[in-house]
Amino acid sequence: MVMTITHHPSDVTLAAFAGGTLDEGRALVVSMHLGACPACRAAVRTFERLRGIALMDGEGAALKAGALERALAAISSAEPPSAAKLEDVQAEWPAPLSAYPLGTWRRIGGGVQWRSVGAPAEGGTRVFMLKAAPGTRIPHHDHAGLEWTCVLKGAFSHQQGRYGPGDFDEADDSIDHLPVVEDGEECVCIVALQGQIRFRSWIGRLVQPFVRI
Amino acid sequence: MPAARDDTDPAHWLAAIATRRDRAAFASLFGFYAPRIKGFLMRTGTAAEIAEELAQEVMLSVWRKADTFDASRASVSTWIYAIARNLRIDRLRHERGGAGVAAEVLYESLQSEEPDRPDASLEWAERDDRVRLALRELPDEQIAVVRLSFFEDKPHGDIARILGIPLGTVKSRLRLAMAKLREGLDEWS
Repeated sequence: MVMTITHHPSDVTLAAFAGGTLDEGRALVVSMHLGACPACRAAVRTFERLRGIALMDGEGAALKAGALERALAAISSAEPPSAAKLEDVQAEWPAPLSAYPLGTWRRIGGGVQWRSVGAPAEGGTRVFMLKAAPGTRIPHHDHAGLEWTCVLKGAFSHQQGRYGPGDFDEADDSIDHLPVVEDGEECVCIVALQGQIRFRSWIGRLVQPFVRI
Repeated sequence: MPAARDDTDPAHWLAAIATRRDRAAFASLFGFYAPRIKGFLMRTGTAAEIAEELAQEVMLSVWRKADTFDASRASVSTWIYAIARNLRIDRLRHERGGAGVAAEVLYESLQSEEPDRPDASLEWAERDDRVRLALRELPDEQIAVVRLSFFEDKPHGDIARILGIPLGTVKSRLRLAMAKLREGLDEWS
């Protein structure tokens, strides 16, 4: 599938992904974008190389006495490398989303459906999927905290442009949105929402009863 | 500092482990990388005791996965860094009682097939030297924020305090540095 991706995560976000400092929900949404975006994969690899060099060139810390002997004992009892990679089962969504348990779709009003994604709510971040019918106009909403979205199917548009499959919307509380789902096809997204005590945003208020804040 | 070559080249040790389960090569690789892994993890905020355990886990993982190392995709250091990062993520999640998906799975989307590039034959040691060169070419003020951010994982607020500059300046210098590094390096990634 050829996708034309025009909206990407910021370099700060890609670097944090490479550094392993994002919580699981946000890392999952970024990873869904990366699977579709060669340019951002290259960027993450650049940031990983910086880390690799930091590891290589930085000062080492001596291990405890007997560390090598323990390591040699460990490899002696190690299982042989498992050649078997998991078979690619025909999953509804690409990896890594395919590795998560997904809840059933539930109507949350305004032509929008919500489904849970079984990732731990780490660092106050909730991750879930949203589905909206063609032509749905999402009521005006602003953001309290972070709302990261990766489009999996279909497209929506708001003041920042059009978001189709693979596009990444990295919204923070400085952004004011009025998204409209394109005609023709329903739109499915994965969203990581970093909630405050109470969501102010439109999506936040709608999903609040489901995510049990 | 350019990477060592030939019989003291980590990539050769790794190949010896992959092809003949060479324990002497593993001992050499351990002597070279285990202290570096521990030092790196400690600098980026992991307690010494846990860094020691993780260094052991990483090296055991290196032994197990040596045959999956693909020299056309990454240098040994970057490959080992990614293993260390993933094991640290799993460790932290386990400590918090979370039962998510293994970090390795979250990072799998990076492994998508890429089109062949004409420069694929360039040695990884040389490619890493390009990164070092690109880092040195940054203005000093950017090098400082890059080192603290990428080499020590310091949050932006801490960097602002350490360097005595406003938070906004930290962010703008980092943005400039990352754009510059990507411009010079993404094509080699």
